[in-house]
Amino acid sequence: MYFFEKPLDTILQTKGGKVMLGKVFGVICLISLLFALLNGNAAALGSAVLDGAAKAIEVILSLGGMMCLWCGIMRVLSEAGLIRRLSRLLSPFLRLFFPEASRTGEGLEEISANISANLLGIGNAATPFALRAMEQMQKHNPHPDTASREQITLAVLNTASVTLLPANLLALRRAAGSDRPYAILIPVWITSLLCAAMALLLTSLPRLFEKKITRFPRAHRTGKRGRHG
Amino acid sequence: MGETVAAYAMPAVMALAGGFMLFGKKDYFHAFTEGATEGLQTAIRLLPTLVALMVAISMLNASGAVTLLSRVLAPVAQRIGIPSDLLPLLITRPFSGSASTAAFSSLLDQVGADSFTGLCASVIFGSSDTVVYVISVYCSSVGIRHTRWSFPCAFAVMLFCVFFSCFLCRLCFF
Repeated sequence: MYFFEKPLDTILQTKGGKVMLGKVFGVICLISLLFALLNGNAAALGSAVLDGAAKAIEVILSLGGMMCLWCGIMRVLSEAGLIRRLSRLLSPFLRLFFPEASRTGEGLEEISANISANLLGIGNAATPFALRAMEQMQKHNPHPDTASREQITLAVLNTASVTLLPANLLALRRAAGSDRPYAILIPVWITSLLCAAMALLLTSLPRLFEKKITRFPRAHRTGKRGRHG
Repeated sequence: MGETVAAYAMPAVMALAGGFMLFGKKDYFHAFTEGATEGLQTAIRLLPTLVALMVAISMLNASGAVTLLSRVLAPVAQRIGIPSDLLPLLITRPFSGSASTAAFSSLLDQVGADSFTGLCASVIFGSSDTVVYVISVYCSSVGIRHTRWSFPCAFAVMLFCVFFSCFLCRLCFF
């Protein structure tokens, strides 16, 4: 942990509950109650809770099926050596944004598979690949209950979905009776690429700051008049 | 045309794997079952967090927070140049995939898919994802509780996405 991260972690973790996930859940619960009281439909909340729990089981069933399928397929393709070739193709990118994983060699294949699945628009496969990548990166995580920087980078990168062919979006536009559903294709490419770039930049900031710190001592050592001063 | 290419991507990958199983020398089916077992274990580890998440999102949807917030924030949105019709989509997008899809479709039906608002909404919908779901699921699958700067970064990116989409649509289409 470097100097930049400690204050940031402290700010994000103190103030109320210790864990961020718990805070998100708590905030959503309280806001829902507040708004339900304001809107006068607090009774609907009760059935919403039960519906939510039932829906969770549905989601788990489909997610479980997807996880089984895609992790299995990934294992097959990885043993065939295809994914290694893919990650070699992406290695400049991976080395820049996932240096730890590049160093240890774990998780690179899964990250490459995740990025490729996102690009191809196979969202079903992207999630299982990302989850496997998180697991592989977790092996080298010194604090198992805290996200490592690269795990954060992967997660935030996945929220900025970069897809070459957003099939879902196009289908929705077609269904809404659009005359030119493909009109937004290029803007979506531009926007999602920029969002992904921003995601990578923001999540790599701590690392950039840390590099600057190690550069300063050398600059100061030469003094104001330069090397011969 | 685009959708057919995308639609073929998944079967193509399946066919590739099937091809290896049929013509490959190693026991690829065994690899499949091993990978699938690991995948299933990960999914099971996810269940508690997913229950909490789905219940919270369901409550949020039922409480009418979205409509109330949209009404409250409409003047603010107008002032900063974001069409106020986008607000339901913007509010649900980070939280729930199904609610945001529903909000998106109803928005397109309401204002027309080729209107400025409809185009902005499409770009936003295509360049973002459900922040809370993704980060929570990814982190809790490996037992991470401290997500550090994931949520702030992801919400910052989402904010950027919204502003840039409106700006780009204004540039491209008008």
